[in-house]
Amino acid sequence: MKANPAKNVRLGERTASSGGERRFWHTQRFKTNRPLWLMFLPVVAFYLVFKYAPMAGLVIAFKNYTFYEGVWGSQWVGFDNFQMLFTQAQSLQIIRNTLLLSVLSVVIGFPFPIMLAIMLNEVRRKWFQKTVQTLVYLPHFFSWVIVGGLVVTIFAQSGLVNAMLERLTGQPFAFLFNEGSWVAIFLGSGIWKDAGFSAIIYLAALTSIDPSLYEAASMDGAGKWKQIRHITLPGIAPTIVIMLILAMGRVMEVGFDQVYVLQNSIVSGISEVISTYIYAIGLQGGQFSLTAALGLFESLVAFVLVLLTNAVARRFGKGLW
Amino acid sequence: MRSTKGERTFYLFNYVLLTLAGILCLLPLLHLASLSLSGKNAVLSGFVSLWPQEITFESYQLLFEGTPILRSLGNSMLITVVGVALSMIVTICAAYPLARREFYGRRWISLAIVFTMLFTGGLIPTYLVVSSLGLVNNYGSLWLPALVSTYNMLIMRSFFENIPEELVEAARIDGSGEWRLLLRIVLPLSLPVLATIGLFYAVYYWNSFFNVMIYINSPEKLNLTVLIQQMVRSQSVLQEINAMDTQQVSNITPEGIKAAGIMVMILPMLVVYPLLQKYFVKGVTLGAIKG
Repeated sequence: MKANPAKNVRLGERTASSGGERRFWHTQRFKTNRPLWLMFLPVVAFYLVFKYAPMAGLVIAFKNYTFYEGVWGSQWVGFDNFQMLFTQAQSLQIIRNTLLLSVLSVVIGFPFPIMLAIMLNEVRRKWFQKTVQTLVYLPHFFSWVIVGGLVVTIFAQSGLVNAMLERLTGQPFAFLFNEGSWVAIFLGSGIWKDAGFSAIIYLAALTSIDPSLYEAASMDGAGKWKQIRHITLPGIAPTIVIMLILAMGRVMEVGFDQVYVLQNSIVSGISEVISTYIYAIGLQGGQFSLTAALGLFESLVAFVLVLLTNAVARRFGKGLW
Repeated sequence: MRSTKGERTFYLFNYVLLTLAGILCLLPLLHLASLSLSGKNAVLSGFVSLWPQEITFESYQLLFEGTPILRSLGNSMLITVVGVALSMIVTICAAYPLARREFYGRRWISLAIVFTMLFTGGLIPTYLVVSSLGLVNNYGSLWLPALVSTYNMLIMRSFFENIPEELVEAARIDGSGEWRLLLRIVLPLSLPVLATIGLFYAVYYWNSFFNVMIYINSPEKLNLTVLIQQMVRSQSVLQEINAMDTQQVSNITPEGIKAAGIMVMILPMLVVYPLLQKYFVKGVTLGAIKG
């Protein structure tokens, strides 16, 4: 190992004066790149096979895929699958449900992490702050199966909430079997699981605000609310915009797990979404082309939404790229 | 500093609300824990709220004797340990070159990789790829498609980028090759980010549910998540337990067993979580700033 540096320097000196082709193969840069590319090869393979090959596989959205003919051998059918999707009442309802649940999730869920972060930031006692943080980050690490299990146990007919309700009013309420309360539970469980963890990012942004701004505002007689409105919120606005752009990318996607663990046949009119539909009709029902078309539609809308939100954000000088 | 009356009310509200938020995150767990430890009569009468009544461990006993939970616990561990190891290796292999300025094609490759975050082939084409590789009913179907999480990789890359260039240069002058540089200098300096990403991958594999459901068919290969979901959802697993309990004298309820199952899944996380908390906060923060 000790002999190497001297050799490298000598090579560098000599190649500096010789022709283009040889210079390239002997430069330090190439020497550095060879091992780097060697370690990067599995990564290239991974992205090609598991990310880009499925994109190419989306051609089956324009085909009538059968198992025997395969992806490339199947018959082209043009836009038939899409036509079917956008005329069937069932698939339209599913797209509507997806949009409804995800827009509600974004609109109602979005402010919670911001509020939580601002509140945590105002706490002076470190031990209190640490304790609350430990507790509110925790649910993020539970799978939806656990959260679903908790929710179903607590809100079931014989569950804790109904036991208390019965003592108060004498009547239980079928929380999970009523569309309105099901949506509320769906949204609430999402907030319960992730609001705390999402607050981390805002907390980080809050630490970058110059404390002297608060002192100055306080001298001028601005109360806490005014300080939050005029210093805190503008200070974390760029982060809020970035998080909003990322949230827009997910508007077409309601996570499979969350719906799957909470849904039941009685509320399927509101709870059936694109991801559960693709699972049930595509994977279990074998309608690969139809559901691939739905998946393509989902991906495209999400992609366009991200681009649009970013364009708008860029107009205000806060774009992600 | 003196605080005004308005500020005092603000702080009071703040403390009260945050306390409530913290308690709200803890209550469901306490309730489930109490259910899993309570006797039949207490559960059925609906009196179990946050403290176990008529404490008994029969739910756990039956869970471990009457269901394949031990096997699926083992499966979950296998999936997690191997998965984290593989994902960490390949993610480092992605993040390290991309963090080096000398790396040819760095810009275009980064673009191509970030594009996969914005646009995906979706479930069906991915399933077709995985099944055409013959990975169905094989844990490879869980590990290989999840080797690199682009988000985690970007967090790691930005951490590597922040390692002072002088250190890298100094090591190079000392004659270190790239591999040595990575193993001896970069990785030891990156322990916080490695712990964070390792935790994220561990949580991902430990919790994996959907992929197990679609790719793994043999019941004996299922992991804890899917088994617990089956128990919560359908009665069949619980009926088997009841069939075993021939004397019908046991002190347990389906609710109690379900709760016990959920607790078995939560407990390992509760053990690891406090140890890693300081790391993941750092890691998330880093990713957020650099995007």
